[in-house]
Amino acid sequence: MALIDCDDLVFRYPYAERPVLDGVSLAIGAGERIAVLGANGSGKTTLARFIAGLLPDVAMKAERGSVSMEGRPWPAWTIAERSAAVQFVGQVPAQQLSGCAFTVYDELAFGPCNLALPEADVRARVEEALTICNLRHLVERDPFTLSGGEQQRLSIGAALAMKPRVLVLDEPTSNLDPESRDAFIEQLAALPASLTVIVFEVALRPSMALASRFLLFDGGRIVADGGASDVLTDPRCIAALGETSVARAAGSVRAAGGWPAGTPLPLTVPEASDAFAEVRRALRR
Amino acid sequence: MAAWESYAGKGLLFTPGASVMHRANPLTSLIVTLWAISFAAILPVAGTALLTLAIIAFAFACGIGPTTLKRLAITMIPFGIALFLVHGVLVHAPDSVRYGPVSLSRGGFHDAAVLFFRLAAMLAASLLFVSTTHPSDMLKSLDARGVSPVVSYLIASPLLLLEPLSLRAKGIRDAQQARGMDLSGSWRARIGALPAMLIPLIALALSDLDHRVLILTGRAFRAHKRRTVLGAPPDDPGQMWFRRVLAVVAVAQLGVPLLWR
Repeated sequence: MALIDCDDLVFRYPYAERPVLDGVSLAIGAGERIAVLGANGSGKTTLARFIAGLLPDVAMKAERGSVSMEGRPWPAWTIAERSAAVQFVGQVPAQQLSGCAFTVYDELAFGPCNLALPEADVRARVEEALTICNLRHLVERDPFTLSGGEQQRLSIGAALAMKPRVLVLDEPTSNLDPESRDAFIEQLAALPASLTVIVFEVALRPSMALASRFLLFDGGRIVADGGASDVLTDPRCIAALGETSVARAAGSVRAAGGWPAGTPLPLTVPEASDAFAEVRRALRR
Repeated sequence: MAAWESYAGKGLLFTPGASVMHRANPLTSLIVTLWAISFAAILPVAGTALLTLAIIAFAFACGIGPTTLKRLAITMIPFGIALFLVHGVLVHAPDSVRYGPVSLSRGGFHDAAVLFFRLAAMLAASLLFVSTTHPSDMLKSLDARGVSPVVSYLIASPLLLLEPLSLRAKGIRDAQQARGMDLSGSWRARIGALPAMLIPLIALALSDLDHRVLILTGRAFRAHKRRTVLGAPPDDPGQMWFRRVLAVVAVAQLGVPLLWR
């Protein structure tokens, strides 16, 4: 049984002509690292909220289908159970703060304290999140005075302090400058291996740094599902999100007739190193 | 950087220290403040003046005298001038006596003095409380007493969200000015510009509210009736009994004179 099962999900916003989710079916296994790619306005955030159990709510319900974790649909979970099972981190860092903590330490402790855990457990969780998210030097700072990148690290730390089994990240790098984005990508690599991570992105680089499975989301449906070489070279993915700079360079070589037939286009620098060596050998022959 | 230092720009009045008010449990400080406010409501004018002086002296003993006095003066001096002008000069009373173009009322001045010292005593007591009690400690005390997390949230969030909201207001003002909104003209032009400022500010605040509800739900807010409290301010039976007695006195000193009449 999949850890998370999304079964024929159809959802339409009030007064919308077309559903934003149009029969989404998806099975996510424990420990998977998944990137859901799609253009702006494609419905990624709505799908992310359904997967994280934030939808359906009182006002917004699916027309058909449901999302379950371990076989139980989200509405059957209590708030405490769900928050210990899955955590969602949204796009705008300042909106991810609780608004009830005067320091970074208190922000990290806010969720575990709400779970009424013993004080020693809360402190242990906070210490772990401080280390993973590199926040120890900011521990006494007011969360609202942090930079966007620091706030994003804090919101992920606060999510990790809940010890979830699934972490859902909605465009986590959209508000970060290049330096903060690189630091954030390094941080993602340091997440516990047992954690299932689903990142919804428009950017290819953080997705490739994190995921081993890629889904292309278009027109309210998942239109491609596979590894990086399958999905990122899909023309629909290229049309919506573009290519990596390595793939673009290799594509130019191929367009000029210099790419050997049968050699796949590389997506990353390590792949490019091997592929371009192959091209050099072919040109010498 | 210590936690309190990061609040300097957030409009919090807390000043760190080791005085008896700083060391007291925040609930004890709160009850003392409420008792002083209640006392100020029933004292005659000389009593409220003495109470104000006593609170200021206590503030100096707690190491926050200059800042308390400055904040009190900034608020009360213009307010006092307005009170004495309105009650003693502008409002015509039966005992008004004309001095050339103005008429002065002894009764009006007395009423102004009653109001002035009453408010000064209440404000001084409140300043003493907020300057010696960190809001975070107050929240932890409430949590430790089993008060609903909602109450703590209602106290904390306005303090924490005020600055982000004012920064956003400045951003909206700059964006609207870049689009041609004129804030340098007459008061009519300024009032006319208000909707262009307020509508996006309110819309964004409501959007934030939606996100914050999701975040709070995701962090198990109100999942249990009581939260774990980290580093709750110390409390003891002596302070608890002191609070109970003072709370009864505060209510009685307001209620007994009413019944007596």
